[in-house]
Amino acid sequence: MMEAQGEKIREVARRLLEQDRVDVVIGFEKGSLPLRASPVFVRTVAETHRLIWDCFCENNLARYLTRIDDHRVAIVAKGCDSRAIVALMAERQIPRERLTIIGVPCQRMVDRRKAAAAVHGEILAARCQDSNLDVEGRDFRRSLPRDAFLYLSCRLCTHRNPVIHDVLIGDPVEESTLNEPPSLRLERCSDHQRWAVFSQTVSSCVRCFACRQACPMCYCQECFVDASTPSWIGRGTDPSDIQMWHIVRAFHMAGRCVACGACERACPMEIDLFTMLEKLNRDVKELFAFEAGISADTTPPLGTHDPDDPGDFIL
Amino acid sequence: MTMKKIRKEDLKRRVEDLLETWQVFAPVWKEGMVEITEIDDPATMSLDGPPPRIPPKRLFFPQSEVLFHYAKDTRGVEIDSDPEVARRRVVLGVKPCDAHALSLLDCVFNGDRYQDPYYLKRREQTVVVALGCDEPALTCFCSSMESGPFSRKGADVFLTDIGAAYVVEVLTPKGHQLFEPSRLEDASPENLEKAKEREEAAQKTISSHVERAGLVDKLDEMAESVLWKYIHEKCIGCGVCTFLCPTCHCFDMVDEGDEAVGQRVRNWDSCQFPLYTLETSGRNPRPSGRERLRQRVMHKFNYFVKSFGQPACVGCGRCIIHCPVNLDVRRVIEAIWTAQ
Amino acid sequence: MTPDWEPRIVAFLCNWCSYAGADLAGTSRIQYPPNIRVIRVPCSGRINPLFIIKALQMGADGVLVSGCHPGDCHYQTGNYLARRKAAVLRRFLEFLGIEMGRLHFSWVSAAEGTKFSQVVDEVTQAVKRLGPATRLVKARTWT
Repeated sequence: MMEAQGEKIREVARRLLEQDRVDVVIGFEKGSLPLRASPVFVRTVAETHRLIWDCFCENNLARYLTRIDDHRVAIVAKGCDSRAIVALMAERQIPRERLTIIGVPCQRMVDRRKAAAAVHGEILAARCQDSNLDVEGRDFRRSLPRDAFLYLSCRLCTHRNPVIHDVLIGDPVEESTLNEPPSLRLERCSDHQRWAVFSQTVSSCVRCFACRQACPMCYCQECFVDASTPSWIGRGTDPSDIQMWHIVRAFHMAGRCVACGACERACPMEIDLFTMLEKLNRDVKELFAFEAGISADTTPPLGTHDPDDPGDFIL
Repeated sequence: MTMKKIRKEDLKRRVEDLLETWQVFAPVWKEGMVEITEIDDPATMSLDGPPPRIPPKRLFFPQSEVLFHYAKDTRGVEIDSDPEVARRRVVLGVKPCDAHALSLLDCVFNGDRYQDPYYLKRREQTVVVALGCDEPALTCFCSSMESGPFSRKGADVFLTDIGAAYVVEVLTPKGHQLFEPSRLEDASPENLEKAKEREEAAQKTISSHVERAGLVDKLDEMAESVLWKYIHEKCIGCGVCTFLCPTCHCFDMVDEGDEAVGQRVRNWDSCQFPLYTLETSGRNPRPSGRERLRQRVMHKFNYFVKSFGQPACVGCGRCIIHCPVNLDVRRVIEAIWTAQ
Repeated sequence: MTPDWEPRIVAFLCNWCSYAGADLAGTSRIQYPPNIRVIRVPCSGRINPLFIIKALQMGADGVLVSGCHPGDCHYQTGNYLARRKAAVLRRFLEFLGIEMGRLHFSWVSAAEGTKFSQVVDEVTQAVKRLGPATRLVKARTWT
């Protein structure tokens, strides 16, 4: 199915460029390594052959939309990516009229690090099939069941189908029922244990800010970590500074995170950044009946209020 | 120099002895990835695994380092600066690319005009034991960067794994502190033959090559090229490539504390962060990601070559593997070669 | 924890209601624990959650944020926004393992000197029970 989707994406891109409806198509091309696809900016019909679609198309391309200036852009968007587009529209960061959204019902993305860890030796070639991931090394050849090698964000995803699109590539897929998220299990632990889990989880962070840069919703001109009068956060290795980075970044996502998992995938230290965001999203849904990136005609939940908002924790 | 050998169990025993007075660092598996960390038990060493996610530059150029403490009172300012490294240190199982990278960092931190006491103290107190790399990855292009899977550069001692033992080459006086060659067995001709086979096999495994002849001049021509816009387009401007790079060494210095008492700290920084070159006037000579990416490529393959005669890249491939958008420096160089 | 340890609690008080209420407690000579350090803000809606987190990082054993009652905000809706931020922040910090007894929110009006003293008392007791803050506290390595 993914091959057919790839073909359709190329066809749509060709048409859009031939008819001069867009200046650039942002999609994916084959990566320079096994298990990778890479964002590509296609501007001519001749280049459209580069566009592909497979289970390695893990990036959220909406991240590029906050710097398209005044170009007309077509963008390939999975379910979660389309939510990011809607969330950016709700925050008035991108012009809908200059966007052509090529929506792709998502087969869910493979966690390339999990796949690499499952075999002995380097993976020299990998191929996505519909239910399997075929990998090959110097002395092995295996067919891994794709469902066991998905990103956490994909395993928990309830929006595989784009919520907005101008073209839909392929038939809608069945949405999964929600598995028990790790955060629910954590809630049942003591505060002591939860602190131990959190501080341990983020302890290997090197503050490369890949999570921030990969996130389509992180578009502040000046991030709070770069403020200097006052300086909010130290840039050394004190654990409290590392913890603060993650706490505040996550909090800045409250009511804005579209659960695309771009952060967890970008992290070079493979930190589970997703669980805390999933918890935040769940709280916002429970408290304010709000989910980011579903409707563009909404006010962000922390920018508005309701007289009946919960407040029984207030003395 | 006669080639020596040490059996693997004897190396473990040597490490046990060292642990009494030395700090021993080695690669260890931790939560699914390899990291170089201090060990207290040689059984935890994983010398034949993949390279550590964060390279050993961390041991010489820490991510955060106190340069000095200060205390002010009515009498004046007292500064306490003592780059003290308490014990001798040894780091085992360093990949040759990472060891070579240390010799490149030496160009910067131990140069003609400036010798950094903090870096130098750690460097002097540490013996680097490199281990020939038997399993180069698809992303390794060390052979194109004046290094290689069995490069001896930067190492005080070089080990080659020949099965039940290592062939040992003690390369520097510092290496002698660790292994007095007269106390080691001679390597037999069969051992040496085996070592040679391993070395040749590893070199043949390198499948990735980058053309560097004339690259400096080509890059000079390209300084204002519009190609950089297209090369940079998918870059998201994070610091993964710089932080994971064994030769990157940008830093920032900050004061923490208040007017009366505090410390000056040196932290890793990245040329990919906009703030790195932001001037107090608000002007930024590298205003967008495009200029910053260009600068990185130029620094590695042009400026450093002009200053020190070699590229500031050892072909370890970390930036390629871990870049969130798979921006591949090898593809960048190919694009540069094919540019008009 | 030394036996004579006294918690240090940062109290963000909105200028128009809670700060005035605290002032009234003072002029009325109502006794309340001396552990709070007051930071006056124009409105509880001014509170950036970053302030609360930063206070905890700098070693505050507890944080209190107090504003006008719903409907009484000098700026109409500031306290409503604060209520939303507070609801999200406290759940999130609790999830991460910060003890909830360290984080408190209240509505105190300019006329409620007594209530203010009661709130401070309750907050101080809650923080005392938990002992000195250790999670998220930055080590001051230069002293």
